[in-house]
Amino acid sequence: MKNQANPWLTSNLWVLGLGMLPAILLIGILLYFTAWAFAFSFTDLALVGRKSVEWSWVGLENFERLFTRRGFLESLWTTVIFVFFSAIVGQSVLGFLLAAALRGSRSMLRSVVEVCIMLGWLLPDIVAAFLWSATTAQTGLINQLIITPLGLPPVNFINDYALPVVTIANIWKGTAWSYLLFSAALDSVSREVVEAAKVDGATPLQRIWLVQLPIIRPHIATNMLFITIWTFTYFPLIFAMTGGGPGRQTETLAVFLYNQSFARGNLGFGSAISVAMLAIVGFLSLFYLRLLREPK
Amino acid sequence: MLKKVLLGSVAALAMTSALSAPARAEVSFMYAEWIAALVEPGIEAFEAETGETVNAIKLPGQGYDQRIALDLSAGTAADVNLMDSFMVSELASAGYLHPLDELLAGWDQFQYYMPGLLEVASYQGQVYALPTDTDVRMLWYDLSNFEKAGIPTPWEPKTWDDVLDAAQKLKDAGVRYPFQLPAGTKQAEAATMQGVYMALLGADVPEGDRNRLLNRETGQWIGDSPALRRTFDLFHQVYVERELNTAELNYATDIGAAVRAALAADELGILASGSWEDACLWDCNNPPSREERDATVAWTPWPGSGVEGAKTTTNISGGWTIGINANAADKDMAFKLITSIFDEGNFKAWTLANHRMAVRTDISESPEYTADPFLAEATKLAADTTGRDTVPGYQTVSALIQQATADILDGVPPDEVVQEYHDALVDEFGEENVVTYE
Repeated sequence: MKNQANPWLTSNLWVLGLGMLPAILLIGILLYFTAWAFAFSFTDLALVGRKSVEWSWVGLENFERLFTRRGFLESLWTTVIFVFFSAIVGQSVLGFLLAAALRGSRSMLRSVVEVCIMLGWLLPDIVAAFLWSATTAQTGLINQLIITPLGLPPVNFINDYALPVVTIANIWKGTAWSYLLFSAALDSVSREVVEAAKVDGATPLQRIWLVQLPIIRPHIATNMLFITIWTFTYFPLIFAMTGGGPGRQTETLAVFLYNQSFARGNLGFGSAISVAMLAIVGFLSLFYLRLLREPK
Repeated sequence: MLKKVLLGSVAALAMTSALSAPARAEVSFMYAEWIAALVEPGIEAFEAETGETVNAIKLPGQGYDQRIALDLSAGTAADVNLMDSFMVSELASAGYLHPLDELLAGWDQFQYYMPGLLEVASYQGQVYALPTDTDVRMLWYDLSNFEKAGIPTPWEPKTWDDVLDAAQKLKDAGVRYPFQLPAGTKQAEAATMQGVYMALLGADVPEGDRNRLLNRETGQWIGDSPALRRTFDLFHQVYVERELNTAELNYATDIGAAVRAALAADELGILASGSWEDACLWDCNNPPSREERDATVAWTPWPGSGVEGAKTTTNISGGWTIGINANAADKDMAFKLITSIFDEGNFKAWTLANHRMAVRTDISESPEYTADPFLAEATKLAADTTGRDTVPGYQTVSALIQQATADILDGVPPDEVVQEYHDALVDEFGEENVVTYE
């Protein structure tokens, strides 16, 4: 079976192999890191010391420890709460509401709001972390502007409500993406369809719920897919703000993975955590990809 | 024909890339920001003398330990590196550091280093790094807050109960952080050394290493002991039961800066820390005047728990070191940089200005050093000190200890925390290397 379009290419295996090289390299590199993590999740590889050079296979021990030792399940739960409230509820819903509210308006207001949303997104994570810690500390802006003038004792938000504070910080940081995506998606809904619904007597809420939302459903799924994946593995903002604390209150899986791999120095266990994270994110992605399919 | 052209161009590409590789790299050096006043004049002297340039990588102290371990194991570390002394044996055992004995033999100032301090930076009889300073640990306290709480100074607590009582009075007087006892994973080594180990050493009798993390005779880690339980209970009392401190400072975005800000704002009561605070009160590279410091803070040795037979005061010493990466291109040049930093003039000036505890006899026996009132007192503490269990595995054990204190902050009962710690030790080192004391 010779390829009739390119007889010369298929006649020479060497040339064919050379042509495939870039693709093989790319796929190889992509697989290499995953395979590395997967392989080392069955070992006791350490970051430093003898076990960093003389590691041995330990079978499923690391995976057993995910469930028998304190840490993984707690972190998984923290991560689920963080992803659900900051990404799915916070960024998505807020992004959609802003996009829907500002749609069609060409006023200054829209530009101002857009710039403000974008600023959060553009600011480096570490700078944002310092800003949020300073704002929510006992002597911070919120206490100075709101709590103390009301005659209430100052509240140390970042210590007493650590998880809600990092959740809100992440909503602030990440809403721009959802807003931009939903803005573009809503622009693609043709005006005629919406106006036809209007003529048929649909209320504004019905127009959104029954007309626009079904049309942009694939965009919603795409957005969910993206923000779930990267919020699930998100590290810098939380780590800089709280380091996973107080105690383990904001120790998401990414922070837990870091602590086990680089503080405790157990790369084997760290790899097992990352494989577990990969499996969970993979499962979620499949769920969203099903959503992406058009209903038959 | 095409094949030839392709092969030819691949070969040509390979050759140009080989040719364009730099002939020899400059000397690179990674260090933490707080030690700039020692190393930066050394770098300048080195550059002036050799004409080489030093690629200086200055980093914040937060997360420095993780960074150096990761860089060395990944093969991306600088030629010369500052590192905490506890890491030296572990890094050397993995072959990441270059043994210095041969290089040291040709350096006339090496004879002054104190042998006990070189031991911490050695592995299997070879020296792998040179110490910058050593330290002792104590309880610092804020004089104005003690006055406010009605606690007479100089404060001389005899047992843990005295410390807790003072903290209670400070709390009742409205001091925001009555007893800042380092705890949690973000504090890293500080939680182990300034917090757990200082308490642990006074928590039980020293016989059989019952007051340590490691039985040094058998090489077994201690997974459960009365001393560990008492120590974790102390943390539990401070952070949970009596709420003598909040977890806040232990998880600040920049812990060092937050502690210093709290000190400056008179919000701290007692601070479990070390001799470096004498210089680092506001900023390590700009020590305050003696008068300013003495008007603000004072210190007292850590008392023992009060348990019969336990030590009445405790102390443990650490310190930092500078060593050479095993992959450094030019080891002689790297060593030359180290000797420029540790050259007597520079090293002595820094040690004295920062009231650091000297690691060399030519400095410690100098009249300026012996005349320093703080160093004279601190050296008395050093008469009864000990070191960390700097055998391979310590870093992991230390991380597990930090995790244990984090769990206590979360309100996990000390009994469960000990169990969890014991099981994690068994996971890491095997049943035969973990021992339990009744």
